[in-house]
Amino acid sequence: MKLPLSWLRELVDLDLDVDELAAVMSLSGLEVEDVTRPGAGASGIRTARVLHWEPHPDADKLRFVRLTGEGGDGEVEVVCGAANFDVGDVVVHALPGGFVPGVAGPDGSKGLTLDARRIRGVTSQGMIASAKELEVGDDHTGILVLDPDTPLGASLDDLIPVGDPVIEIAVQADRGDHLSILGVARDLAAILDTEWRVPQVPTEPDGSSVPVSLRTDACSAFHTWVLDDVQVGGSPLWMRQRLAQCGMRPIDVAVDVTNLVMLELGQPLHAFDLDRVRGPALTVREAEGAERLTTLDGQQRDLVAGDLVIDDAERAVSLAGVMGGGDTEVSSATRRILLEGAVWEPTTIRATSRRLGLTSEASNRFERGVDPQGAGRAVARAAGLLQDLAGARATGSGAAFTEPEPAWAGRPTVTLDTGRVRRTLALELSDADQVGLLERAGAAVEATDGGMRSVTPPSWRRDLRRPADLTEEIVRLHGYDQVPEVMPALPTTGGRTAAQQLERDARQLALAAGFHEAKTRPFVGDDAIDGVVPSDGRVRLANPLAQDAAAMRPSLVEGLLQAVRHNHGQGRPGVALVELGRCFRPVQDPLAAALDAVIGDGWRWTDPDGQPIPVQPQVLALAAQGLKLGDGWLDVDSRWSVGDLIAVFDRIARQLSPPDDDAWDLTRVAIERDGYHPGRTASLRLRGQEIGVVGQLHPEESDRRDLPEPVVVGELLLEPFLAAVPADGHPPVRARTLVRHPAMTVDVALVAEDAVAYATLEQAVRDGAGPLLDELWWFDEYRGAQVGEGRRSVAMRLRLQDPDRQLTDDDAERTIDAIAEAAEVVGATLRR
Amino acid sequence: MNDLDALQRDALAAIEAAEHLDDLDEVRVRFTGKRSELSAIQKGMGELDPEERKARGQALNAFRQAFQAAFDARHEQLQGAALRERLESERLDLTLPPRQVPPGRPHLLTQVEQEMLDVFIGMGFRVAEGPEAESGSYNFDLLNIEPDHPARQEMDTIYVDGFDDVVLRTHTSPVQSRVMTTTQPPIAVVCPGRTYRADAVDATHSPVFSQIEGLYVAEDVTMAHLRGTLLAFARAMFGADRKIRLRPSFFPFTEPSAEVDVSFDGPGGNHGWLEILGAGMVDPNVLTFCGIDPDRYSGFAFGIGIERVAMLRHQVRDIRELFEADARFLARF
Repeated sequence: MKLPLSWLRELVDLDLDVDELAAVMSLSGLEVEDVTRPGAGASGIRTARVLHWEPHPDADKLRFVRLTGEGGDGEVEVVCGAANFDVGDVVVHALPGGFVPGVAGPDGSKGLTLDARRIRGVTSQGMIASAKELEVGDDHTGILVLDPDTPLGASLDDLIPVGDPVIEIAVQADRGDHLSILGVARDLAAILDTEWRVPQVPTEPDGSSVPVSLRTDACSAFHTWVLDDVQVGGSPLWMRQRLAQCGMRPIDVAVDVTNLVMLELGQPLHAFDLDRVRGPALTVREAEGAERLTTLDGQQRDLVAGDLVIDDAERAVSLAGVMGGGDTEVSSATRRILLEGAVWEPTTIRATSRRLGLTSEASNRFERGVDPQGAGRAVARAAGLLQDLAGARATGSGAAFTEPEPAWAGRPTVTLDTGRVRRTLALELSDADQVGLLERAGAAVEATDGGMRSVTPPSWRRDLRRPADLTEEIVRLHGYDQVPEVMPALPTTGGRTAAQQLERDARQLALAAGFHEAKTRPFVGDDAIDGVVPSDGRVRLANPLAQDAAAMRPSLVEGLLQAVRHNHGQGRPGVALVELGRCFRPVQDPLAAALDAVIGDGWRWTDPDGQPIPVQPQVLALAAQGLKLGDGWLDVDSRWSVGDLIAVFDRIARQLSPPDDDAWDLTRVAIERDGYHPGRTASLRLRGQEIGVVGQLHPEESDRRDLPEPVVVGELLLEPFLAAVPADGHPPVRARTLVRHPAMTVDVALVAEDAVAYATLEQAVRDGAGPLLDELWWFDEYRGAQVGEGRRSVAMRLRLQDPDRQLTDDDAERTIDAIAEAAEVVGATLRR
Repeated sequence: MNDLDALQRDALAAIEAAEHLDDLDEVRVRFTGKRSELSAIQKGMGELDPEERKARGQALNAFRQAFQAAFDARHEQLQGAALRERLESERLDLTLPPRQVPPGRPHLLTQVEQEMLDVFIGMGFRVAEGPEAESGSYNFDLLNIEPDHPARQEMDTIYVDGFDDVVLRTHTSPVQSRVMTTTQPPIAVVCPGRTYRADAVDATHSPVFSQIEGLYVAEDVTMAHLRGTLLAFARAMFGADRKIRLRPSFFPFTEPSAEVDVSFDGPGGNHGWLEILGAGMVDPNVLTFCGIDPDRYSGFAFGIGIERVAMLRHQVRDIRELFEADARFLARF
């Protein structure tokens, strides 16, 4: 809402300058967004009459004009590009040396200082200005033509407050009363403890108006005035300025007056051309099915039951509270006007406005609630202005009310416990202080039996319905800064949950391995690459921001790959990223089923009725491409590989699992998956279920993304680990007795077909080695003539120990024999 | 006797001439080994008469002692030289950066979020979390945001298809509803997480952002407690000399409601207030809807935009930089 300061001052006593006022407003619930001074700096601008004009000799579109300001400075000659004036018109003339605020200067700066200059051979003594050039409107199609009675030679300053400050505020959702000059004036009076007033309005004429029948509770009051002999011309300059200050465009005096009063008093009004209203009689009713109405904007609107219409004797003529109808619109030919001001139920207006996608200044005010007592005054105010400005003669008025008053229009009394207000605010505010503050806000307060106060809010304060609302009003007017600052002594023990600790641990492990944490937007299009447990299931958005962001990510891989692409595009020789976050799947999805199989269904979220909502488990994803260090290193180990990712996932699984529980180790199974290298991709499994995937991008996929190979990606569902950790964390790790006898080292090499996975060979060695095995690791992989085509030899080193004795060569031999036997079972042979 | 004297002279000269430990060892073998002149002299001792043998023995001992002393001295010299040579040859330029992948950095938003959480944890708040695709009941209804309340429209909600009433949560307050519907006071939680609005992306808007919301519900919680808590937070995050300012505002879930500014002192005497969060006393309707008796309990709640705090504190000018994962940005913080 834009508030011209000069207008505010008409309705409230203000001792403050605009900066002081803006500061007070911001601290009192009237959030100031901007203060502007349209027209500021204008000088050397005065009114003048057109004495003569003729076409410019050398330019069709220019006029050569003679003006007089009748101020003793004789006639001047001006060249003008507009054509909307004639001899005798009063126009606004900016003299050489004058400053025109709405014209860009030669260097693009705001405003231009004029000098006499030659235009196509003719000297122009300044210019004739448009509304836009003067910043009293945005019309620049023609010059500003004033009322013929305007005194000549008058400075613009004498006609209107040029450069009047305009304070723009953000209106809170519950303060519809701030959508008017009067509403803000009233609130300022309450805040500053000063006086406010309403504009003078004429008394009602004796004659009767058009009969009105209210057939719905959604209208509580309907006021009309009948005006005859109206001359619908342009509006005076002061009114155009005010409309422009408030961001509205002047149309004609009838429309402008209704808009001006709406801005001033907050009550939307409508003017019907009474000669085009049939009957004439009006009925306010709900629309019937399949009704149509062409609104003022020329759009044909299909109405549904529940929409409110104003009906003349034959048809709907207005979409109540939202927009008038085209058939009864006021025009320059209009002679008789029916002014209407009504009070509509907010929720009904909002529903219609939303359904039709049609928001107007009127609907905006009605859906926030107008003053139910204010409609009659507003209609009278508009009638008075039309009497003054359009020659109108009021011949009748009328008002219809819904009896009894609908509940939504009422302002019920609130019982207030002043002691509770003191306790809530921690303020020693006496009962009298509290009552005084509420009375400043316009409320009527009475003491009741039992020490309570009965508070009746003013009709314009729809937001004061409960004791909490009154508490806020009291502290708002008293000053939020009066509330002391006290640290509460919380009776609770703070901290993270065990699951949150695990998440931090997981992140830390990825960071330690050199991955930077990324955060990507979790929206994807239809061509996202698969990640863990792929499916076509998507959590789709009903109103996505873009088609390539129409669903929530089913996996974190796509987002990270796009981030990798960004970095490659920036010329990075390599990048490694980790992201923690949720992926999103429908309730029925293979991924959800896999998680259910691992941890039961306790991890799923539901709504308050226990109905399922999309599944959204926590995931940790990694992606890396290119060199680990700066550019130039040539050896293979300097590039990120699948192995780097596997190492991180293994560490995370181990760190997040219960101690000493091998059942939580991830197993890796070679798989093929769309978009991934068929020989370099593994499923990460827990209890036989896939909970992660890791691999290198397929060369074609890298190519499609314009990324140099290799690109490695993977993700791991953290949810199984987070769901399994007890509230107080995993049990503490127990110390193991350190074996003091020296350990024995034994090397073995197994030869097997390539197809036999290392994991299988290792398991065979472990099975064979038995309880003496303390640790093992592989240290060589050999392919070549000695082992034969399609085969390989894998060498492992074992550390054996026994807590009770020193091992001997016999132990080593027995162990090797046992390993040889176990190897046979998996199709491998021990190299002796 | 002359032969031993000569031998000794030769031997000591040879020891002195040895340049390396290997040469020295050769000298030892040459003069005292099995095939050395000394060895021959020793072998010939058996043929001597006892008197001579005794004298010869003494002379031999003298030779050995002289040899050993010279040898040891030279050995020590050469060993020291060899060690010095080795150490010199092993010299490394330790100003060369090690070829190690440096650890990655947590995202700026993570750092700021964790720091903020730690401040509140220190006061006694517990961390709680909830889903991002959330039931409208938790996101709106239980928080006193009626279906056709203007505030609900203003939140620019993104809706999930195929469900009756599931939205991308517009704030992390639905976590508060989840906690309040399942726990009785005293409740003190902070709820971090991602939130969503249907905002087009530009330098100051993102459809995805993150918040920390806080809730304290107990007996006799006052607005002074809210102010005290937020002041302590502002000082922990922005500096001990900061002040806060509450401005009346409107949120459906709090009454009274406030926007909260923190003071700043910039260069050149430039000082003023920056808006950092919204807060208020929990609306009695919210308590009632969540099954908590508003006549017995009261509470306060606040919501802080993590992006906003991060951008203010670290002078990030474009919110898009937080989400494009540029490694230069990520490594910076």
